[in-house]
Amino acid sequence: MVRDHVRPGQTLFLGGFGHAVPFALGQEIVRQGIGGLTLCRSGADILFDQMIAAGVVRRVIFGYVGNPGVGLGHAFRRAVAAGTLELEEWTNFAMILRLHAGRLGVPFLPARILGIGDQTPATAAAARIACPYTGTELTAIPALVPDVALIHAQQADDEGNVQLWGVDGDTVEGALASERILVTVERIVPAATLRAAPERTRLPAHRVTAVAEVPWGAHPSWVDGAYGRDDAHYRDYDAVSRDPATLDRWLDDWVRSGGGARCTDLLTDDDLAALRTALGGAS
Amino acid sequence: MTALGETARIALAAARELADGESCFVGIGIPSDAALLARRSHAPRLGLIYESGVFGADPPGPPLSTGSPEVAAGAAMIADGLTAFGELQAGRISCALLSAAQVDRFGNLNSTVLGPYEAPKLRMVGSGGAHDIACLARRLIVVMPHDPRRFVERVDFATSPGAAPRDTARRRALGLGPGPSVLITGRGRFEMTADGWRLAATLPGFSAADALEGLPWGTPPGPVPGVAFDAAALSALAALPHLHEPSPAP
Repeated sequence: MVRDHVRPGQTLFLGGFGHAVPFALGQEIVRQGIGGLTLCRSGADILFDQMIAAGVVRRVIFGYVGNPGVGLGHAFRRAVAAGTLELEEWTNFAMILRLHAGRLGVPFLPARILGIGDQTPATAAAARIACPYTGTELTAIPALVPDVALIHAQQADDEGNVQLWGVDGDTVEGALASERILVTVERIVPAATLRAAPERTRLPAHRVTAVAEVPWGAHPSWVDGAYGRDDAHYRDYDAVSRDPATLDRWLDDWVRSGGGARCTDLLTDDDLAALRTALGGAS
Repeated sequence: MTALGETARIALAAARELADGESCFVGIGIPSDAALLARRSHAPRLGLIYESGVFGADPPGPPLSTGSPEVAAGAAMIADGLTAFGELQAGRISCALLSAAQVDRFGNLNSTVLGPYEAPKLRMVGSGGAHDIACLARRLIVVMPHDPRRFVERVDFATSPGAAPRDTARRRALGLGPGPSVLITGRGRFEMTADGWRLAATLPGFSAADALEGLPWGTPPGPVPGVAFDAAALSALAALPHLHEPSPAP
């Protein structure tokens, strides 16, 4: 799926606002060495950091890059210091509006933010406009239309209708803003199962380019109803990513040698059972 | 009383700023801890709202991320980020709590870079929703551990705009909220004035001199009262799952 649909230099939206982060898809891109990428989303966690560390990212369009609740994105921080990563820095609300404008097919959306405080080069370049009705000064937040969205979800049918529930953030926003959507799911289900609860379908088949069944494809993030968040893994990542050589060995183990869904080979059965029954998991 | 940890003191003092029935936009860490403490003590109908789109949250344990299972579990509603920030921009969320790496005299907050933007001494996580919250919140409370390196005359980068007099005029023109009005540190409660932060009260176990130690601003014109933590709040605190420890200043 990745080989067929992701090209070097493309702009990729990565789904998952803490929940259902598409680790298997992102790590497969690293394995295939598809480089020169631009990654975008509002709040990005350690999948961004891993892909930056692996050298496949040229540019990030973002509101936040870090390890939520733990600390900084160390590979991100080093790449900025080394000048090897281009930054297009917005805020989370601005990124959501950029994607929403892309989803709506309009060139921009007005907002009240970004008119005060220090601006990044990207936000300083955003146009100031006057409301045509009231004259109020607003920021014209430009649309963002990524080439490809990488999404992980609970389930899909074999037609490609995708059901995703639980915490969304900007995941559906970014998927529907994108030209193409690649999806991994915990399970493929019969069409009748999906159609029994169509309100859970967030991405319709005609917009979905490809679907693959990849259980545990969002580990170490979580999937509502399947497994809880592996907070220990996020904390461990903070320790290993502080040193580039240590991180490189860690990437060999967790990403280059298999990665993604292969976390089931690296975690013990007890670990997996604990995550399955953790808060947010299968209960 | 001095046996209370710093996060506990800040959470107790910040919780006092929140009234029952309010809706409060919170981030991870002390902001989330403080709002949860208020909800578990004097404000049982306080609505906790996270930028991930979760409304009416009641975390059973401390979440690491606004998208964590603890935020979703037992919440009243899971929507999306557009809904959360949309409600905030429309002025329909009553207050917000924020923290950052640095705060300055007029309540500008920095979570972007230490040093110049183009050649930072330390690149941090960026705004996330912090800029948006500081612009749009109708009432904003800032919470910070008492670490003098975090309190500066002028932040290196104003990720989240403050409430200097000229900013106040600009905020009105843009239809924004008034900016930060209260700062809770591990030692004191400060209020925003035309001259910047001014110590308004001390936390239990600390003198005014303690609360001002190492700060480049904040001296009050006269003596200030002490805050007392009531028994109900202390017992709610004891029943809370462990609080976030403050991270060291970068």
